[in-house]
Amino acid sequence: MFIRTKKDWELPESAVTSEQAYRTHNRRDFLKAVGLGAAGAALASRGLLAATGGLPAKENPAFPASALNPTAEEFITSYNNFYEFGTAKEQPKVLANRDWKTEPWTVEVTGLVDKPLKLDVNDLIKQAGGIEERVYRHRCVEAWSMVVPWDGFPLAKLVALAAPKSTAKFVKFTSFLDPKSAPGQSSGNLDYPYVEGLRIDEAMNELAFIATGIYGKPIPNQNGAPLRLVTPWKYGFKGIKSIVKIEFTGNEPINTWKQMQGSEYGFYANVNPNVDHPRWSQASEQIIGSTSLLRSRQPTLMFNGYEKQVASLYTGLDLRRNY
Amino acid sequence: MGLLEKLLRSKVVVWILLVLPGLWPLWPIFGWPDSSVLADPLKFVLHHLGFTACILLAVVLAFTPLRVLWPKWGISQAVNRHRRLVGVAAFVYAALHLATHVVYETGLDWSQLGHVFQVATTKPFQLVGLIAFTILLALAVTSPTFMLRLLGKHWKPLHRLAYVAAALAAYHQAAARKLFPMQVVWIFGPLILLEIARVLRQRQNAAGKS
Repeated sequence: MFIRTKKDWELPESAVTSEQAYRTHNRRDFLKAVGLGAAGAALASRGLLAATGGLPAKENPAFPASALNPTAEEFITSYNNFYEFGTAKEQPKVLANRDWKTEPWTVEVTGLVDKPLKLDVNDLIKQAGGIEERVYRHRCVEAWSMVVPWDGFPLAKLVALAAPKSTAKFVKFTSFLDPKSAPGQSSGNLDYPYVEGLRIDEAMNELAFIATGIYGKPIPNQNGAPLRLVTPWKYGFKGIKSIVKIEFTGNEPINTWKQMQGSEYGFYANVNPNVDHPRWSQASEQIIGSTSLLRSRQPTLMFNGYEKQVASLYTGLDLRRNY
Repeated sequence: MGLLEKLLRSKVVVWILLVLPGLWPLWPIFGWPDSSVLADPLKFVLHHLGFTACILLAVVLAFTPLRVLWPKWGISQAVNRHRRLVGVAAFVYAALHLATHVVYETGLDWSQLGHVFQVATTKPFQLVGLIAFTILLALAVTSPTFMLRLLGKHWKPLHRLAYVAAALAAYHQAAARKLFPMQVVWIFGPLILLEIARVLRQRQNAAGKS
């Protein structure tokens, strides 16, 4: 029997630069990477990284990267709607990484529950049984889409931990409020803190997910560190970022965009190519980070392609009225 | 004659000023790539062209109030030499904006053309933009000197539609975003102030004559 011993100059397979990375990196990318590396090291030494609990996560084979074509990390982290840090897509990447601290981070689970919780996000990850990776489609109400490899845990696990009472019919999510470090909040572009909500059966659906990471790394501040909601069959604005409070209620919570402009944004916000936004069509979507400059559009799928998992939640509901 | 006035009298300088904004998107796409632009480059181009068309429309409409308010000021005389050029440029940017919209929405799948047209004519936000464009098209077509002669006394009332186009463009621009964009105020606010001042001045002048 031949037992191979590694020579001391041999590196593990994990240290090898992939051919793709080797080929695509030009001098500018290299400089950028070095710059980010230095910034990352500085951040780490200050203990400012968001939730690291459970990383690296294993891919959930039901939602694999191989089934979809994940958007490049560069675009996922540079093209953000996070109005707390400005309304322009490029602003959150800059402004959410200036004064805002996402570590340590406490989450409160409260309302009509038997087991209220108030704990650090990393403890929450532990109690939820660790994290997994899921690759989901992401469709914005503005008619663009991405594919994101999220790390996190099913929202149903958090619901089970809280043990809601039978009177709990809805889940209300509240984001952080810190106008001093969030320039969008101090400018008052929306009413803050940002609020979102789900019906409790939606919250317990297998797809509803609490994300704490993207591409195997703690979720960047501009994407909603350290934990955010991901409901891939709904428009992106339902995916509330940087959650501080999860409250079980008897009444339907009023979500921020519905309150701001109820004629255009509703409570359900299910992706639906047949129900237009008052100002634009929802029948198709622009693919973010497409390699083709001109042919980068695809038809939008009912429930964003998750009809099988969620259609039963809405039997008998008029989706045109309950947009 | 000041340097600025000399420069603004030059057709070459004005041409350069009008062409440069059209070239600007090349910079964040090819020159120094910006990830937030590359994420959806065509949308960046689309918004940039519409934005430029709005600015040029507001600028060209400001020329008349400048002339009425400060008739002897060299700058106001200089810019008023280029009324037709700047007006046609506003139309060209609006046309490029519309063409980009069609490419963006169809993704070059021409079977989608009917759907894009149907959406454009049924959503008030898009229809208003389309009407503003149609007005600019009519004004551009009737801008050559022989058309001016041909239309005679009808030319001026027709070209007053530019004010309607500006109002529609301002609404279209404001409705293009989820929240009201302040840039609409920066672009069209000064024009409104100039127009108010101009109307007051013209009344004063009329009262002085009678």
